[in-house]
Amino acid sequence: MKKYFSLVKLLFVQQYRVKPTEGKRKRGGTIAAYVVLGICFLPMLISLAGSMYFLGGLSKGLENVSDIVATLLFVCQGVVLLFGVQTLITNVFSAKDADKLLFLPVNSSAIFAAKLSVAYLNEVITTAVMLIVTLLPFGIGYSAGAGYYLLLIPALLLVPLLPLLLSSIIAIPLSAVITKFGKNGVVKTLMQVLLFALIMGAYLFGMYELGFIGGSSGDADVGSDMASVLLEKLQGIGSAMKYVHSDFTLASAMLGASFGAVALNLLISVAENALLFGLVLALSIPFYRWILSATVEGAGVSRRKKVKSSDLTVKNQGVVRELIFTDIKRVMRDSQMGFQGILSLIMLPIMVVVFYFCFSITSEDGQNIVQMLQGQSLYRGIAPIVFLSYMSLLGMSSNVLGIYPISRENKSIYLVKSLPVSFNKYLLAKVILSTSVMLISDFLMCLLVVVLFGVDWYFGIAMLVVMGALGFGAMCITTLIDLKSPKFGWTNFNQSLKNAKNSWMAMLVGLVVSLIIGAISAVCLVGWYFLNAAWYMLLIMWLLIIGASVGFAAVCYRIMTGSAEKYFNLIEP
Amino acid sequence: MIRLSNVSKTYAKSQKKAVDGLSLEIKDGEIFGFLGPNGAGKSTTIKMITGILSPDEGTIEVDGVNLAENSIAAKSRIGFVPDNHETYETLKGIEYLNFIGTMYGVETGALKARISEYAEMFQLSDALPNMISSYSHGMKQKLMVIAALIHDPKVWILDEPLTGLDPQSAFQLKQLMRKHAEQGNTVFFSSHVIDVVEKVCDRIGIINHGQLVAVDTLDNIRKDESVSLESLFLTITADETAK
Repeated sequence: MKKYFSLVKLLFVQQYRVKPTEGKRKRGGTIAAYVVLGICFLPMLISLAGSMYFLGGLSKGLENVSDIVATLLFVCQGVVLLFGVQTLITNVFSAKDADKLLFLPVNSSAIFAAKLSVAYLNEVITTAVMLIVTLLPFGIGYSAGAGYYLLLIPALLLVPLLPLLLSSIIAIPLSAVITKFGKNGVVKTLMQVLLFALIMGAYLFGMYELGFIGGSSGDADVGSDMASVLLEKLQGIGSAMKYVHSDFTLASAMLGASFGAVALNLLISVAENALLFGLVLALSIPFYRWILSATVEGAGVSRRKKVKSSDLTVKNQGVVRELIFTDIKRVMRDSQMGFQGILSLIMLPIMVVVFYFCFSITSEDGQNIVQMLQGQSLYRGIAPIVFLSYMSLLGMSSNVLGIYPISRENKSIYLVKSLPVSFNKYLLAKVILSTSVMLISDFLMCLLVVVLFGVDWYFGIAMLVVMGALGFGAMCITTLIDLKSPKFGWTNFNQSLKNAKNSWMAMLVGLVVSLIIGAISAVCLVGWYFLNAAWYMLLIMWLLIIGASVGFAAVCYRIMTGSAEKYFNLIEP
Repeated sequence: MIRLSNVSKTYAKSQKKAVDGLSLEIKDGEIFGFLGPNGAGKSTTIKMITGILSPDEGTIEVDGVNLAENSIAAKSRIGFVPDNHETYETLKGIEYLNFIGTMYGVETGALKARISEYAEMFQLSDALPNMISSYSHGMKQKLMVIAALIHDPKVWILDEPLTGLDPQSAFQLKQLMRKHAEQGNTVFFSSHVIDVVEKVCDRIGIINHGQLVAVDTLDNIRKDESVSLESLFLTITADETAK
């Protein structure tokens, strides 16, 4: 047991510690960045908590409130699942630390148990955040009894178990693909992304079928009180929660009228969750053993085959081109980097599609929201700006290749520094690669917005220009941050993603830029509205936004090139 | 030729000088062995000569080119075999060599001929189409050696080059070092294997606590032929530590 706890401690601490020696000043800066970010996201969390509180108040006097609570538990589990799948793949099934752990006098089951425990602990943390902003304010609004709050503690421990099982079901085939196609990195990455897309598609389809997204608004008027609509939806879905029986019994326990009812329901929920955990173990242990042997025995094995002259083709294609193509090969052949890179390319266009389905609620007369909105005169001017703000906010923090261009060199940074290549060429190669990826994603998003949401094509082009400029500027900033404090020494790429403040900074930049776009457009749109939709006001607005974004890109590029080489020279491999 | 003049380096995360006022000159046609206990400053010195680290003080010249003033030209004269084998694991061996060749501006024909020659010599031809991640420690070391020689460098720097090599390859490498020096080039290598240093090097330098404590031909250093380099090394580094 002592060995197990030591392993859990080691693995848990390791995932948050890539660079153990960090100066106090630097640590202070990181904490400050997190505080600023927290402040920025606080309004969102507060508004969510506020809605839940309001929802709790509306639920007073309703029957089957436990159905609503069960649904909220299920929603929390959805969020936990989203983060859990990745943790399980990277920390349990695809972790490249088998050779570091297997020689220890600990059996493989203990190693697996420790890894699973760490994944579980991560899910508990996510669950805690979700419970604080959903079920806690709901309970306060509902004026729930003390038992409700007391049972939030066992809920904290029980809620992550279903996502853990679902994560295993998703992670096992994904990891099997990673291992099976271990020889061909590109195919492996593409298969992984495809499988992920299929699973997420199935998940979205399930949500659609349940009525979480899209579908008919039923009796509720689309324009009526949103809280009532949400409450109605939660109740509607809640009736299906009997099938997620562990949540249903836990919710029943939380709102139980008598001690007996509470104890019985809690007992059933614990038993059901124990069964879920048993299922996780039954599924995962044999697979973990298989994957261990496949990884360890497969390492270093290269099948002997006759070398053809075509296998040894060499070609000098120029320094920058070679740097770019080598970088692409390295990204695509690394399962984690490739997965993150491709995901950053397709995730936002997928979200636009999801957005479309969310808005395709059909009213009683057979018209959906998008069609209804398109009929409004304001839509033409406002919709592109809304999409632009949303896509800029998310897009800037999702371009993994632009956020971690230096950290992904990892321990090979010494090689880059020893090469007789000017830093400017090296930087140019990094910038071209990340900008190209970003532009493909931007183009897909703009195309989808034009096709699905009926935004005018010329606004689509303007959006592409603005997003390209903003993304480029943000990428310059994140590249500079990554040069200033790169994260080397990681064993899997996701460690680098978790620890670097680069993505947080990118989010902050995105947030600020979205606010600026919002401010410029608000002024112009007010003018446009009062001038009877005068076309020149939209032209002025877009010219201002394009000018501001190009200016932003130019300033960021100047800042980056001004200090980048200095920081690069300060890197001490 | 390599010339270090009063070179010092303190790492950003440390208060202590890793290299302290090091001055050294290695001539063309010479194999120079660099010895020192763990943490003495060998790797830091090598990293400064190869341009991976910048010295805080002093100047470094590689084949007459000042590294600080013209780093690209200086680096293009160096072939470097690192001690850690950390490289682009997801590239194939041949892709890695092509990458290095392009970075050093080697013409395609010459690149092909040199890859063929060295891969044959180190029996690595069959492995070149495979991913580097599938290589053994020794195979990676061989690949690093080939990559360092692919542009026919004037200065060849090797950090612990014999670690992990099989006896045949170790022999080949020693022969290559001698041949490279005989062609008028400079070979600088650090090693813990004192026997090899004793047999291969024309001159040796011993570094301890970041300072050069001895530099000369082996015969001049030991004076008494019956004394082995190993005992000499232990005596010198122990004396310095006691001081």
